[in-house]
Amino acid sequence: MIQHIKVHEVLQQSVAGFYADLVTRPTGRAVRESIERALPAGTIAVMDFTGVGCLDYSCADEIVAKLLREKVRVLLLRGTSDAHRDAIEPVLLGHGLAAVCERPDGTLHVIGAREPAAALLDELVAQQVAARTPGGAIALTAA
Amino acid sequence: MTRLVEVPAQFDDRSFDQFAAAYAQATADGERLLFDAHAAEWASPYGLVGLLAAGEAAGRRAGGGGGTGERPLLTVPANAEVVSYWARAGFFREAAGLFEVHGKVPKTKPATESEVLLPVTPVRAAEDVHVVVSTIQQRASAILAKELGLDPKATMGFAMALSEACQNIVEHAGSGGWVAVQAYNWRRKLARRVVVIAVADAGVGFRHSLEPSQAKRFGDRWGDAAALEAALIQGVSRFRDPGRGQGLAGIRRYLARWEGKVAIRSGTARIAIVPRWDDDVPLRDSLPAFPGSQVLLIIPEQGSAQA
Repeated sequence: MIQHIKVHEVLQQSVAGFYADLVTRPTGRAVRESIERALPAGTIAVMDFTGVGCLDYSCADEIVAKLLREKVRVLLLRGTSDAHRDAIEPVLLGHGLAAVCERPDGTLHVIGAREPAAALLDELVAQQVAARTPGGAIALTAA
Repeated sequence: MTRLVEVPAQFDDRSFDQFAAAYAQATADGERLLFDAHAAEWASPYGLVGLLAAGEAAGRRAGGGGGTGERPLLTVPANAEVVSYWARAGFFREAAGLFEVHGKVPKTKPATESEVLLPVTPVRAAEDVHVVVSTIQQRASAILAKELGLDPKATMGFAMALSEACQNIVEHAGSGGWVAVQAYNWRRKLARRVVVIAVADAGVGFRHSLEPSQAKRFGDRWGDAAALEAALIQGVSRFRDPGRGQGLAGIRRYLARWEGKVAIRSGTARIAIVPRWDDDVPLRDSLPAFPGSQVLLIIPEQGSAQA
């Protein structure tokens, strides 16, 4: 089963003050800990960044990298902007990790370290979470 | 006895070493300091936040063992336009808590004019970084896109760079600091519009912060310059976590994309990533000692970065 995480909502619930930006380590830590409480270990999770403004490296590391390292098997990023991915990708590379990104058209691609990236889409297809489209891309079978 | 520290007439990153030398000399014997800015004609954001850092360090010294216990003195610029600009840039709001201010300061709120993208703002905790990032996104996007010709998407990267620069204070300085962001015409090399981010603190500095984890690795080379090199060029952090040290690397990437400049001064050294339009020195050592760290980020108008 895919777990769904709406990051903006978690941010609102986790941190005092109405923030749309995922910045600073304490904020990232608070958001990650909220997510971890609701997330079974070893799952496939969709993390939706819709509504999130600025994402800095500290939060990308605290949330995305640490969840991938310690909690989830596959992390699918949805609703990310170029700026979000600019923050996430170097952090993933630094840890030797990779995550799946969903494009606006629903197709998937992988960002981060090359070695784990190669296996990620295969795993989603093998789990029947994703499938090849007629055009040859890969997309989720169920949102 | 009061020791005089003269504030340079044109107070920016270039004249900062002159100011630091005066500060180092004046602090040698523990007397009360007078920061004399009466002849100041202009100060960049770097100068303003650097002056606040000096005030904080001087106040801390005075309050310590053997100190006079008195806050340092500050004479305001004699030129009414200059003092008005410093007020609009938010300088005096912060200076009031650090200095015994002498001279007439206009009662004005920090500016909402387009040049002051972020008035001098204290950074003491993560919450302050949130406020800074939120404010800058509201005010800077139009300036960055229309005046500097940056892709509108670059605003988010700008906020990210600002966030990481501010977090260096929260995580490493061991004290609070200040940030200011302004847009202005930079005549010195470019004769173009630039946006300048200046961040300063009077904390422990990079060498002290990194010493436990890095000093042994550098051996005899260890010092302020080696610490800056380790942090900015090698991306090392005092934390063992492999995810740490990304902030400065991210700032470098962002500035490289927009032909920007980053310079960091800490202790007796200064390091800079120098774009082709500038002639700064990449690494300088044996400078006059100055407390904490001072960070300068410059993003030039695009399509104009010619040497």
